[in-house]
Amino acid sequence: MSSKLVAAGLFSVLAVFALVPLGVLLLRSTGEGWLSVWREDGALWALRGTLLTASGAALFALVIGLPVAILLGRTDLAWARAARTLLTLPSAIPPYIWAMGWVALANPRAGLLNLVLGPGTLDIYGAAGIAFVLGGAGLPLVVLPTLAALSRIDASLEEAARLSGASVWKTLLAVPVPLALPSALSGAALVFLSSASSFGVPYILGVTANPPTPTLTTRLYGEVLMGAGGLHRAAVLSLGLLVIAVSVLVLNAWLSGRSAVRLSSGKGLSHRPLPLGRARWVTSLLVMALLAVVIILPLSAVFLTSVQPTWGELRGLTFSHWQGVLSSPRTLAAAGRSAMLSLAAAALVTGLGLAIATTRRKWLETVGDGIFALPGTVFALALIVTFSRDLRFIAFERVALVLALGNTLTLLLIAYVAKHLAYGIRNSSDGLSQLDPSLAEAARLSGASGPRAFLDAVVPQLRGPLGAAFLLTFLTCMTELTVSVLLVPTGAEVLGTLVFELQSYADPASASVIACAFIVMILIVITTTSVVARARGARR
Amino acid sequence: MASVELTGLFKQYGATPVVRGVSLRVEPGSLLALLGPSGCGKTTTLRLIAGLETPDAGTIAIGERLVSDGAQHVAPEKRGLGMVFQSYAVWPHKSVEQNVAYPLQLQKRSREEISQRVSEALGWVRLTGLGGRLPQQLSGGQLQRVALARALVAKPGVLLLDEPLSNLDLALREELRGEIAALRARLGITMILVTHDQSEALALADTVAVMNGGRIEQLAAPEVFYRAPATPFVAGFVGGANLLEGRAEGGFFHWRESRFTLPAEVSTANAEGVLAVRPEDFLVTLGQGGGEPELTLSARLFAGQQVEYRFMVGEAVLRCMGPPLAVSPGAKVRVSIARALFFAR
Repeated sequence: MSSKLVAAGLFSVLAVFALVPLGVLLLRSTGEGWLSVWREDGALWALRGTLLTASGAALFALVIGLPVAILLGRTDLAWARAARTLLTLPSAIPPYIWAMGWVALANPRAGLLNLVLGPGTLDIYGAAGIAFVLGGAGLPLVVLPTLAALSRIDASLEEAARLSGASVWKTLLAVPVPLALPSALSGAALVFLSSASSFGVPYILGVTANPPTPTLTTRLYGEVLMGAGGLHRAAVLSLGLLVIAVSVLVLNAWLSGRSAVRLSSGKGLSHRPLPLGRARWVTSLLVMALLAVVIILPLSAVFLTSVQPTWGELRGLTFSHWQGVLSSPRTLAAAGRSAMLSLAAAALVTGLGLAIATTRRKWLETVGDGIFALPGTVFALALIVTFSRDLRFIAFERVALVLALGNTLTLLLIAYVAKHLAYGIRNSSDGLSQLDPSLAEAARLSGASGPRAFLDAVVPQLRGPLGAAFLLTFLTCMTELTVSVLLVPTGAEVLGTLVFELQSYADPASASVIACAFIVMILIVITTTSVVARARGARR
Repeated sequence: MASVELTGLFKQYGATPVVRGVSLRVEPGSLLALLGPSGCGKTTTLRLIAGLETPDAGTIAIGERLVSDGAQHVAPEKRGLGMVFQSYAVWPHKSVEQNVAYPLQLQKRSREEISQRVSEALGWVRLTGLGGRLPQQLSGGQLQRVALARALVAKPGVLLLDEPLSNLDLALREELRGEIAALRARLGITMILVTHDQSEALALADTVAVMNGGRIEQLAAPEVFYRAPATPFVAGFVGGANLLEGRAEGGFFHWRESRFTLPAEVSTANAEGVLAVRPEDFLVTLGQGGGEPELTLSARLFAGQQVEYRFMVGEAVLRCMGPPLAVSPGAKVRVSIARALFFAR
């Protein structure tokens, strides 16, 4: 009985802050005059930009990710552990930091690579550059699920191919490639979706390109800046992103339905890596060189930018920017705001996620997943459209409730929580499903009430997954840009928007300092959690 | 110590009835075993008593108190019970002491009382000195002892045991069985034990309820089950009897192609029914004589002092125990019945 009430309560929270706004946006986007908005100058051009850069990114991630995953997963490639660790980084670090790195490397006039290769050799601005950077940032989305699929292929399948007369390379093409292809394709579809939803990268690399390469997200941002009329046009254009997102998710569901069929479940599998023979060292060097270019090079460039005295100047490196930025009141205020928002968001995501998971209602979990998959720009726009005016509710004909959320940090917090709720739900529900129900029952029989038993016997077992959800949400919100840039109240910037402002308008060196701080923070959290996890694993 | 009384207990999951009209009474201080194959409803019955499930109909009384009457259900924590789970359910984030102390902490006992009673309880289950250990550092048998101590520490009126020994290996099972019996003698607590292991049930219980298909087939003292099983199912499940479905006629029993002479004590009118014959109640002989059927031996399994002879008769298998004979599979052997029970249809 009470679980039904809890589920209904949670659903109404989701409805008020996510589903209703999305409905409002949907109504607006197909409202009066929507066709003329799409016919306006540049609207279809922006759609084209989105499709082009997102397809390019997906293709790049697939073409690089699939072979790398096959080599890592099925052969005796050298330095495989280091490569696997490196490959988790691109999704841990926000995409706009990669774009900042590539601006420093391949700005046609003063990029570091162009200083070496001669001015104008490389140009990161424009559609190709956007696709390259987004594809690199999306590599883990292809590599990790492909590796997971590959680990479920029994070595005897490959050995059978070799005994039939196939060489190592032909074997790779004949067995693991087709078996892992559905997972890789579904990963590439997710790269497409995340690239189409991306805002920072196309803004940094597209708006100042020659000719400019607008995408739907950057155009929506421009429209929102223009005020009321722009908001209407933005609402209409957001439908384009929404349709793209839904089609990708449908395609992906279909793909994952197909990939589930043929692979073994994991028990009694034998793993024997295929020997690359004489090609081993060449192949290993190539893979590491590739990862160095895609991952290490841009991160180093961000660091170099932060210590350059003036942009594009490599002599007289100095930490003076660091001192200036880290002690400036503007940075400190933004950092304080971000930290408060991220802590609150992480706590709410973990708590609400746990609450939703304990109701064991699949459809509630699906709502959370759906919001997560939506482009952040669309979701932020839905909140703006719905809450920009104060909403008044009259209850019992007397009490007036005013919901004045427009232009407040509260609305930004709501967006953070709703957008990342899926982290909390997924981690809690995975953790709960692995738990022996008699642990809670034993507490009941010991004299604990239902809620007390949950707190004493269940929650402590979920510390791992709940902590992971908390940290993941915290880190994501600390560096978040796409949603923040639309919802940040005037005069109350957060870290993500501060970096974005500095990078796009004035001061890449200062932006790089904060970006470096982000990278350090992310690396610290990743290494501590993996060390803690390993220590805990060793104790068992 | 308290009595437990169930009347007309019903429980179904969706459209599947699991417990169908169970009534019984457990006297204060006695041990009742619920015995049956998996899916017979014994664990559900125990969980109904614990309050972890609510019955669709029927009543449950613990001591003088009605804890469930089909409409109102007392929460499990307010029933004054202790329970030991098949999976131990020892909390991995608490030390042994903290696990055992938990029920007392919930009762808000003083710190001195808790520590004194915890060490007393650890003494009952011979875990003195291991209080500081974490569950990961304990063996399966030790974990189950922790679970026992935790269930007993608050001196519950009734102790419920859900297949407490089935996750342990044979030697440990024997050892813990002895300890449960000793604890019972010492604490005099009422116990309800769920098990699928008949030797466990017969060894420990004052009363055994054999369950099948959600109902109690027979409720009696252990020694009764061998002498007088109430149904063919009980004879088969508890005594391991062969169940021959056939017809009794004129002092003979017709089963498939064979005709056995019925033992003198089986006096029955001519009727269709089931003849329950325990393996050791067959006589397997080599000589001729008598009109008893000759069956083809299909397997001969050495079992210490005795030998088990198996005969495939159509799709049925007859299992007989007897002294070693010099025969090998494929030989014809004479089989007769020394003792049997007849259940008319």
